[in-house]
Amino acid sequence: MIKLLLRRLAQGVIVIFVLKTITFFLVRMLPGNPFLGERKLPQHVMDQLNNLYGLDQSAIVQYYNYWKGILTNGDFGPSLVREGLQVSTIIAEAFPVSLALGICGMFIAIILGIPAGMLSAYYRNRWPDTILMLLAMLGICIPAFVIGPLFGKTLGNMPGLSVAGWDNPLCIVLPALTLGLINAAYLARLTRGGMLEVLAQDFIRTAKAKGAGTFRILFIHALRSGLLPAVSYLGPAFAALITGSFVVETCFQVPGMGLHFVNATTDRDYFLIQGLVLCYGILIVLANLIVDLALVALNPRLRAQGTA
Amino acid sequence: MKTPQYQQGNSLWKDAQKRLFRNKAAMMALYFLIAMFVACFVLPLFPIIDNPNTTNLDNIAAPCSMQHPFGTDQLGRDLLARVLYGGRISLLVGLVATIVALVIGLIYGLISGYIGGRTDALMMRTVDVLFALPFIVLVIVFSLSIEQPSRELTEWVISTTGWSRESVAPILGLVPLFIAIGALGWLTLARIVRTQTQEIKSQEYIQAARSLGLSHIRILFRHIAPNLMGTVVVYTTLAVPGIMLTESTLSFIGLGVKAPNSSWGTLIKEGADRMEVTPELLLFPTLFFCLTLLALNFLGDGLRDAIDPKSAKD
Repeated sequence: MIKLLLRRLAQGVIVIFVLKTITFFLVRMLPGNPFLGERKLPQHVMDQLNNLYGLDQSAIVQYYNYWKGILTNGDFGPSLVREGLQVSTIIAEAFPVSLALGICGMFIAIILGIPAGMLSAYYRNRWPDTILMLLAMLGICIPAFVIGPLFGKTLGNMPGLSVAGWDNPLCIVLPALTLGLINAAYLARLTRGGMLEVLAQDFIRTAKAKGAGTFRILFIHALRSGLLPAVSYLGPAFAALITGSFVVETCFQVPGMGLHFVNATTDRDYFLIQGLVLCYGILIVLANLIVDLALVALNPRLRAQGTA
Repeated sequence: MKTPQYQQGNSLWKDAQKRLFRNKAAMMALYFLIAMFVACFVLPLFPIIDNPNTTNLDNIAAPCSMQHPFGTDQLGRDLLARVLYGGRISLLVGLVATIVALVIGLIYGLISGYIGGRTDALMMRTVDVLFALPFIVLVIVFSLSIEQPSRELTEWVISTTGWSRESVAPILGLVPLFIAIGALGWLTLARIVRTQTQEIKSQEYIQAARSLGLSHIRILFRHIAPNLMGTVVVYTTLAVPGIMLTESTLSFIGLGVKAPNSSWGTLIKEGADRMEVTPELLLFPTLFFCLTLLALNFLGDGLRDAIDPKSAKD
């Protein structure tokens, strides 16, 4: 277990380093620059700005300075477009928003998706299965950016719910529901597949023969290994939450990391883009780590091998 | 399970075909997709479809009529024409990006699986690392950063071939998307191809081929690659909807297909902005987009059940 954890952590560090390096040099290639606002700046002002932010140095030097800033005092640099704001301040404000949204979305996805998948597997090829799987297919095919505005239109008028902003706790309902439904659809399909595979095995037949009830068979015998495909999807699901958050935060104007990232790419805010990408990278690595550990916990066979 | 495959030889594909034809959902999906392709790529060649960019400010946001079956948008453009031309772009991005991903994934997986050993371990660890990267974030950054080179490419094509800007620019404007989505979407396929290659490599007819003195290249492309085609076809079909979804998501947040092009994603975006006033603007592009994705998924599932019956659990 410890060995696995260490290996995964080492791999995570490599992932983050690669990601950081790729984005650093890609961002340098972006056309345009952050100081091209509505007003055209004279060349000497532009030079001064570039000098101030160190953008006139060679890429290698900038790359070195960037890592030095982060590792010595956690400095992600200033925002180039929003004057006077540090990238770390922006992220510190936006991160809890996105985290709350992501956790609620994931929670909705799990409480809807996994029971739906289990029901489907239990009623295999009968009408509840057909209906649920059709719904899941629809959930996969209807993109978040359609579900979002539709919710805004239909549910947004309900008292207390809000379609935009982040000024009261109920604002989270619609964005989280939108995020949750997309992942619920994938989870339902995977849970169904996993459960079907388990339910076809001999030990389930034995349990039935010994007179175990439906409930006991589904929840005690089958669920643990039937959940494996769904749990291994949770890593990618986390990445899907990030994609979803771009759309959902843009739709509902939620001031989270997704909205900042979309704006930062259009504004060419180099430091903000890099800070956010780094943050996403760390989140994904952590999520994958947790998923790996959960898989080992659910599937003792992996523990015996010592690898995953 | 395995022996009949070798005895029947060629009829494996016929079997698959038979199974596919029996699957009603998959066949309907197939017919729907063919119809959609004809509608998006062939229909606009005839003058019955309006020019999607002709504005008519006297006829803004018109409801459905004989002349404009889907009505018109906020600038008086015919919505049917816009949906069909948007479909062109969406399907084109979906297909080309998938082909890019397919070529990279296939070659990478073949090499990794065939060589094996340390090379294989290194190549697969690389895939693991890439897998852990936030895909969409990289697509965005990558597609933006190759915009400038692709603009230079456009200029170069115009100056060397002498084609008009109107005919060249829209297609070449999509190149960053093709490359960005495709270049980052090959990972799953590479893994699948590698596993299959390893399996096939250990079979006796490959040993026979080797003892006859065939070159590695010939074994790879003549004896291993054709046997991968089933799996590859299935996962390619299943990859297209995901890639189309990525494209439309990017277009929705304003980072994908750019003017003068419009894809289903941009149309849905425009529609969502105006859904209070004219819900048709959201309805029709969404319907076309969702039905196409649905059909692709059903066809992919059907193909998987037909070609690889073992993996079909229901």
